Amino acid sequence: MRIDFALLFACLILVLPAESSFSHHSFTAEYDSAKLTQFTGTVTKVEWTNPHARFYLDVKDARGTVSSWNFELGSPILLRRLGWSRDSLKIGEQVSVEGYLAKDGAKMANARRVTLADGRNVFAGSSADGNPAK
Amino acid sequence: MNRGYTRLLLLAGMLLALPLAAQWFDYPTRGVPRTPAGKPNLNAPAPRTGDGKPDLSGMWRAANRLPCDGINRVCGDLPISAQFGNIGAAVEGGLPYQPWVRDRIRQKGPADDPYTRCIAPGGPRMHMLPTMKKWVQSPDLLIILDEYNASYRQIFLDGRPLPADPAPTWNGYATGHWEGDTLAVESSGYRDDQWLDAAGSAITSTARVTERIRRVNFGTLLIDLSVDDPKAYTRPWSVTLKEDVVIDTEMVEAICAENEKDVPHLNAVPRQAR
Repeated sequence: MRIDFALLFACLILVLPAESSFSHHSFTAEYDSAKLTQFTGTVTKVEWTNPHARFYLDVKDARGTVSSWNFELGSPILLRRLGWSRDSLKIGEQVSVEGYLAKDGAKMANARRVTLADGRNVFAGSSADGNPAK
Repeated sequence: MNRGYTRLLLLAGMLLALPLAAQWFDYPTRGVPRTPAGKPNLNAPAPRTGDGKPDLSGMWRAANRLPCDGINRVCGDLPISAQFGNIGAAVEGGLPYQPWVRDRIRQKGPADDPYTRCIAPGGPRMHMLPTMKKWVQSPDLLIILDEYNASYRQIFLDGRPLPADPAPTWNGYATGHWEGDTLAVESSGYRDDQWLDAAGSAITSTARVTERIRRVNFGTLLIDLSVDDPKAYTRPWSVTLKEDVVIDTEMVEAICAENEKDVPHLNAVPRQAR
């Protein structure tokens, strides 16, 4: 028995129109929409929790210093309905992330595009961002 | 094919199917009216209970959801309506706030919103939350369950009066009765520190809230919400909230406080920079 994920996601697209978000806080109160930044690093932790799913990357800067960054995703409620799971991103994976920096200077960002080493995007909500359901 | 191999295949199949079935995200909702082509007919007449009353039962979520814009509103997160941000968005001239409410709205920010702080949405604000709600109607009681904090609200339909001097609570005390096909709900007993929307519109212990609820068809609830709260407003005001039915999915528990990490960073941002 094989589960046809392409068919599953094709079915999801019928019930999940592209819509807006809030989850539990205002985006502009925490993140800077003018500071979209690229990161590359290794996944050290995934928190599949409310009110936001999060993951952490060890990121090496130009001087070779490694620091841990916290990336905020959407709500696991909707991410699960979009077909993603806590296993969509695995500890130890190398990923590239495009995200908006926190305004207060913390090592946090709101992740908008998470790309695996093989080029696939995960946790996206629209087809433009790589969600196979859209 | 021997019996042992067949059993192994069946077991493997069950195990593969279990994660999807267990989540119930695509489990078909029973009793959904269909068009001749087999598609859900959300414009079909509202269902009725055995005693002939409109049946408000079902899963619902706020209608008029704003589209994603890729920056402030992401497609991968929960959708909101304009009324979530400002319940008086459609009220000409805005809500008639008392001066202290205007001051509070100016002084407070997102980090002060009880909803963002994972405390409680409170009473009628539940209708506007981006999480899904499940309404369960019986002749004597309407229960509204919310994914957010796995919370509930009770609306008693058994004829009991509202309490005369209630201890304030986030969800207040609510009773309802039928006026034709409209469920008229009265509630009171709210706290003084509640927010009705993300802007900080108030509702207080002097509030008397009326919700006139109609299921106008299978797929739509209309809620005429009236707030008479002299402590917070200079006159009573009314808005209409709309809910869309949700089919073929299931509630998901969302305990907000399990990993809330945003509030300290919201506090760190000066108000003028928000």
